[in-house]
Amino acid sequence: MKGIVFNVLEEVIVAHHGEAVWDDLLDAAGSNGVYTSLGSYPDDHMTRLVKAASDALGMPPADVVRWFGRQAMPRFAERYPEFFTAYASTRPFVLALNTIIHPEVRKLYTGAICPNFDFEDEEGGALLIGYRSPRKLCALAHGFIEGAADYYQQHAEVEHLACMHRGDPRCLMRMTVH
Amino acid sequence: MSEPIECCDPDELARIKRRLERERAARREAETVSERGLRRLYAREQELLLLQDIATAANLSQSVRDVFQYALTRICDFLAWPLGHVYEVVSGDGEARLRSMTLWYARDDAAGAFRDATKLREFAPGEGLPGQTFTSGKPKWLTGVPDREDFLRRSEARECRISTACAFAVQVGEEVVAVFEFFSERALQPNRSLLALLPQVGIHLGRAIERQRAEDRLIHDASHDPLTGLPNRALFLERLNQLMAHARRKADAQFAVLFIDLDRFKIVNDSLGHLAGDRLITQVAGRLRGALRREDVVTRPDATTPGSSTLARLGGDEFTILLTDIHDPSDAVRVANRVKDALRQPFAVNGQEVYTSASIGIASSASGYESADAILRDADLAMYRAKALGKARWELFDREMHQAAMTRLALETDLRRALQNEEFVLHYQPIVSLRTGQVAGFEALVRWQKPDGELVPPGGFIETMEDTGLIVFLGVWVLREACRAARMLQESLPGAQDLSISVNVSPRQFAQPDLAAQIRTVIEEVGIDPHRLRLEITESAMIGDMDRVAAVLRELKEIGVRVSIDDFGTGYSSLSYLHSLPLDVLKIDRSFVSAMAHNGESLQIVRTIMSLAHNLGMDVIAEGPEDAEQVSQLRSIGCEYGQGFYFSKPIDLTAAMAFLARAQNSSEALC
Repeated sequence: MKGIVFNVLEEVIVAHHGEAVWDDLLDAAGSNGVYTSLGSYPDDHMTRLVKAASDALGMPPADVVRWFGRQAMPRFAERYPEFFTAYASTRPFVLALNTIIHPEVRKLYTGAICPNFDFEDEEGGALLIGYRSPRKLCALAHGFIEGAADYYQQHAEVEHLACMHRGDPRCLMRMTVH
Repeated sequence: MSEPIECCDPDELARIKRRLERERAARREAETVSERGLRRLYAREQELLLLQDIATAANLSQSVRDVFQYALTRICDFLAWPLGHVYEVVSGDGEARLRSMTLWYARDDAAGAFRDATKLREFAPGEGLPGQTFTSGKPKWLTGVPDREDFLRRSEARECRISTACAFAVQVGEEVVAVFEFFSERALQPNRSLLALLPQVGIHLGRAIERQRAEDRLIHDASHDPLTGLPNRALFLERLNQLMAHARRKADAQFAVLFIDLDRFKIVNDSLGHLAGDRLITQVAGRLRGALRREDVVTRPDATTPGSSTLARLGGDEFTILLTDIHDPSDAVRVANRVKDALRQPFAVNGQEVYTSASIGIASSASGYESADAILRDADLAMYRAKALGKARWELFDREMHQAAMTRLALETDLRRALQNEEFVLHYQPIVSLRTGQVAGFEALVRWQKPDGELVPPGGFIETMEDTGLIVFLGVWVLREACRAARMLQESLPGAQDLSISVNVSPRQFAQPDLAAQIRTVIEEVGIDPHRLRLEITESAMIGDMDRVAAVLRELKEIGVRVSIDDFGTGYSSLSYLHSLPLDVLKIDRSFVSAMAHNGESLQIVRTIMSLAHNLGMDVIAEGPEDAEQVSQLRSIGCEYGQGFYFSKPIDLTAAMAFLARAQNSSEALC
């Protein structure tokens, strides 16, 4: 996983819970905390940090991830405003993930592994988003979507119709934006 | 949660925090700088990869379309743009235009209406995005496409939500040969590094076109005659073979092959030079093309499709025409007549008027041919027949022609051998002064002494030698032999030193550029008095380039050689050249002499020719007097010399010497 994710996680934790909590999480996860945006680190580090946060904050790991995703989004918007300003609202932003945003992310962070979503319009204006990844980070996607909606000053509801965590072969989310 | 560190005082703690903050900021700054560098590096790497991939494709791919399709897809992938398209540059008559190659990259079938609009229109140079790119040769980036006046497909672009466009030119050297254009629904500012990259992509893609062109040129060159641009033998045979394969399936399809050979071309080539010959061939090709372009050439009245033709140059002065979809051989004859007509007017070559004509052989599929070679061979044989029958005419092939041709071919082989083995001999016929009755000279006449002992007169081989060019070698041999014989005759008796020797010069020989030099060499070699040598030249050899003829005759005069005009009255009998050329002797053709006694008109002609010759200061020799009556008649009208059976038939050198001795010893004159 790219170092930037750890950096943003640190920022979010520090902003909401203080530096000491971040230090504790590192200790609990057995990490030395040396993460730079130029490097890549084992996914396992993230899993252990999420576990530590879950224990410390008394939240299920999926909720931690989703919360982190939502909180991370404004920070990404601050760092990479051009990814956001090119779109007027949440929906086109989400639809541009595969074709524009993720390719750009790969340019920024060589070797970044970004998921590929599939999209399907649903009657009534909802968007079905399919996700399949060995990382099973559907909660992160969920949080990112909510965070994007926050950026566009909208509200996104995301419903997990199917989930790899529940034994389904892939995740399927229904996004409804208000 | 850890407790605050108690050992430090608050100031110290605040300082440490500030330091930490500084370190953190410094780290972020360092990361940002590095990220920017890595990003540039990555972008550059991707660009180079793109360029390399396209260069590789351009070098490896077999077809331009494949390369272009690959480049479209690769560039659209690279840019993450949904739409790309290629124009080719077509230049029909006049201005170049950009036309869709119907090569597209369209993600998810994007922008159908826009693509339809693109397919339907062509762009002139300077017109719209493709036209502007064509004219400038530089890549172009347009933003806000639907609102641009100079973007001609703006309404379709608006309909398809196209916002940004980009185009670049594919170039071979300075020439723009194609234009690529790409479209995006996003509003994107010009990408400088991409705009710097695209011209290089254009150059690589240009190589594919260049290679295609080189290939096309090789194929064309291998199948076409470089001088006239006409199909060559290989291509002609290929088309003929195709046609025959097709005709076997379709029994009612008739066709014919015309074999065209220019008459007297070798003389033009020899006398005016090969460059002039080439120019003549080029002009002839143009006229033949014109003759075939006439739409009514071979269209039969009931034809559903008009006949078509292939004109080819087999080499030298040989052309062929393949006529397809004809009704019967008479269609081919009609075309042959058109070809004849097309060549009737003189050609301007090097500022001179040159006349030529064609002998045309026709072979028709009606004779039932199995192979292309066979029909071509028979058309060729028919052409030879047309030549033999007097040139400037056509002949249809038949079996007898075939036999005649085989005989002729054998004769040619025999003659080559005969030259090598020196199977030729000279006979001499005395020329007698009708005034004194004394022998004035001899004419050397060539005979072919075949190995089996048969003696063949010139009529049996001269024409073939002339056609094949062998005559030039024979001519030099005859000249040398005759001059040697003349010396022996002159030295055989006292008072014979003034005897003249007449030698025939053929048209091909006369056209040799170094004729005078050849003659001078022989004269010096043999040591004969040039004034005693008479070159007999027929009228037909002298027609054509009058300036050249006059120049050659003057050269001969300078050497001291005298020139006779042979067989006068049978050819063109042009008074103008008699008048303007420095000729010494005129020989009246035997046909007038033999008809003289019982035909007043012939006598009158002889009289007229004689007075004409005398007025021009020429001596006259009457050919073929056979009896005393003719001789006395000739003498009575003032003819100086006679050469005929009355005096002697042509005899070998020994007999000629004996004849001369007898004539001198005899107190009586020969006439």
